[in-house]
Amino acid sequence: MASNFSGLSTALTALTANRRALDVAAQNIANANTPGYSRQRADLVSLGGTAVPALWSAYRGPGDGVMVADISRLRDAFLDARNHSERAASGYLNNEHQLYGQLEQLVSEPGDQGLQAQLADMWGAWEDVGNNPGDLATRNALLRQAATTANSLNSRHNGLDTLFTATRDQLEALTADVNATGAQIAHLNQAVVRASGAGVSANELADQRDQLVLHLADLTGARALRQDNGAVDVLLGGAALVSGQTVRNLTVTGARALDNQASSPVGLQWQDTGTPAILPSGQVSSVLHSLTTTVPYYSAQLDQIAATLANSVNTQHGAGYDLSGTAGGPFFTGSTAGAIRVAITDPALVAAASTPGASRDGGNADAMAGLVSLPGGADLTYRQLVANLGVITASVNQRAAVQASLSETAAAGVAAVSGVSLDEEMTNMLMYQRGYEAAARVVSTVDSMLGTLINMI
Amino acid sequence: MLTSMRVTERSLADATMRGLQANLNRLGALQEQLSSGRMISRPSDSPTGTIVAMQIRGDLRQLQQYSRNTDDGKGWLNTVDSALTASMELVHRAREQALTGRSTGSSDQTAREALAGEVDRLRESLIGLANTKYLDRPVFGGTTTGSTAFDQNGNYAGDTGQVLRSAGAGIKVRVDSPAASTYGTGPTQLFAVLAQVSTDLRTNPAALGNDLDLIDTASKLLQSQLSDVGARYNQLVQLGQAGTERTDQLRASLSDVEDVDLPKAIMELQLQQVAYQVALGAAARVIQPSLQDFLR
Repeated sequence: MASNFSGLSTALTALTANRRALDVAAQNIANANTPGYSRQRADLVSLGGTAVPALWSAYRGPGDGVMVADISRLRDAFLDARNHSERAASGYLNNEHQLYGQLEQLVSEPGDQGLQAQLADMWGAWEDVGNNPGDLATRNALLRQAATTANSLNSRHNGLDTLFTATRDQLEALTADVNATGAQIAHLNQAVVRASGAGVSANELADQRDQLVLHLADLTGARALRQDNGAVDVLLGGAALVSGQTVRNLTVTGARALDNQASSPVGLQWQDTGTPAILPSGQVSSVLHSLTTTVPYYSAQLDQIAATLANSVNTQHGAGYDLSGTAGGPFFTGSTAGAIRVAITDPALVAAASTPGASRDGGNADAMAGLVSLPGGADLTYRQLVANLGVITASVNQRAAVQASLSETAAAGVAAVSGVSLDEEMTNMLMYQRGYEAAARVVSTVDSMLGTLINMI
Repeated sequence: MLTSMRVTERSLADATMRGLQANLNRLGALQEQLSSGRMISRPSDSPTGTIVAMQIRGDLRQLQQYSRNTDDGKGWLNTVDSALTASMELVHRAREQALTGRSTGSSDQTAREALAGEVDRLRESLIGLANTKYLDRPVFGGTTTGSTAFDQNGNYAGDTGQVLRSAGAGIKVRVDSPAASTYGTGPTQLFAVLAQVSTDLRTNPAALGNDLDLIDTASKLLQSQLSDVGARYNQLVQLGQAGTERTDQLRASLSDVEDVDLPKAIMELQLQQVAYQVALGAAARVIQPSLQDFLR
């Protein structure tokens, strides 16, 4: 037979449990808008009596009340992992999208300010010299226009150079961010392990840590691995970035300017072992890719165009004769986009004639103007470059848009499981409040019953 | 877009924001098109359109150049034409003097002196006409750097180069006249013949018959060169017209590829604005109510 006060203690457990559950609901409501917060739930477990059979001291009463077994954090590890990978892909593609947008601005085609217009103006100036070879003013105009075209190539190379340097600085800043985030995760790992070892709730710490892991996934495509003691290991392409309470740092190595990229490529290394770090996805991966591949590629294409231009013009110029009848010298110096310059300053040295000896023949200048449609010449190569850039950029934009919607779906999935629904919390609050009221009623009823008994005697 | 049955206020707000953002993105794109008047502002808007637009622009520039060349060529040919026409007048007059000299016979020395003087003056004028310049270049001198095609004695001082103008793709039209085929060379050259006429008028009127034949030959040479100039001028005019028509066609094509269709874009903008307003209204209706409004 149960004791006289067993009903009271059962009701007391109910009061305590409902109050704690109400606290959990309050916590959820307070954090409804906190980013990264996963809703918590009080797990109520009923307490049974002694379940051990015995002969003389068997317990034949009902259970002993309710207890809050655990305040669990509602989070789906599978959805989290999917969210990480989608965020990583999204980070990668967003950065590519931005980079290609900048490259397109540098090119500024189709339009009247691009390189194609400058080249066309230069060929037109050659044609004018062919029409009027004896006029020094026309020759001067040609030299000016050629200088403008060379400047156009120079400035585009400089634009790529600036882009490279700025992106390199961005890579350093992002790497510092990765290192700092890794250190914070390690610190939080330590706190969570200690707390769960002591049986103390560590849900908020775990939420903070998971936010940081998401940030790392966005940056580097890192994968999270849950350990049994509650810590989370962060892996970068198989190598550990955060392992329990220890963190390994990354450093950026390699060239600081575009011109040095070929000889000393930019890379990301583990600071302790010096081995290259593998970044599966994420923004940092895209930044690194742009530094090692994309920007150098377009710079090389531009250099090739400058070399083709200089080569074809110089060859044709050498086949002509200037105003005094001597054969033409080199018209352009330099064979890269950054170094190409007009080599001639004296307008009389422009080789417009196609026959030796001083004459006003304009045949060579005419032939020079015909280089505009030279197969494999600068104009055609440039047009192909612009077209390729357009195709790639359009494709990147499309992939980024598709990935954005995929990322949204993944994030929505996580939010559906872990997000706080105020309606639900309100209803829970009602439930716990009524439960508390009912338990209080039980207390007062048992109290009055005991009072009857005591007053009887 | 939600994959589970559970909907939270946060996810509703996020979904609404995403929808509004997408609407605004579309509005922004339409506005960029309308304010710039161009469908293609960067290569990625339409890579194939960009290639076509660049090609057309290149072609348009070339056509402009051909048009400039054609105008310049017409100027040259006009100058040659008027010089040759005037020259033919003077050659005709010289012929008349020679004819008069031959028919006067050996009787009147002073009359023939006067005629010889006239022929000398005509010869000087013809040399002057043969040194006609266009833009500071003698039109009969080929590509000479000097300022005259013939010197004072009627000797050729130019060179044998040609002055060509590109009037179309692969089409080069000669816009000067070679002195050799206009005035002749050697003893049958026009000025040599006229000098001979002048001498013969003074001393040997019997040789004037032969001289008249030589003058006729020179005159025919001038005539044929004149008609050749006319033909080349016509060719330039036709090429110029063809170029103008092609330029108009290319401009229309470029506009088709690059420019925005204003009525269509404006209508799309208005539709998009309505869609945006509807999205805003829906968002306001969905987000606001919650259970708290109904609990006491």
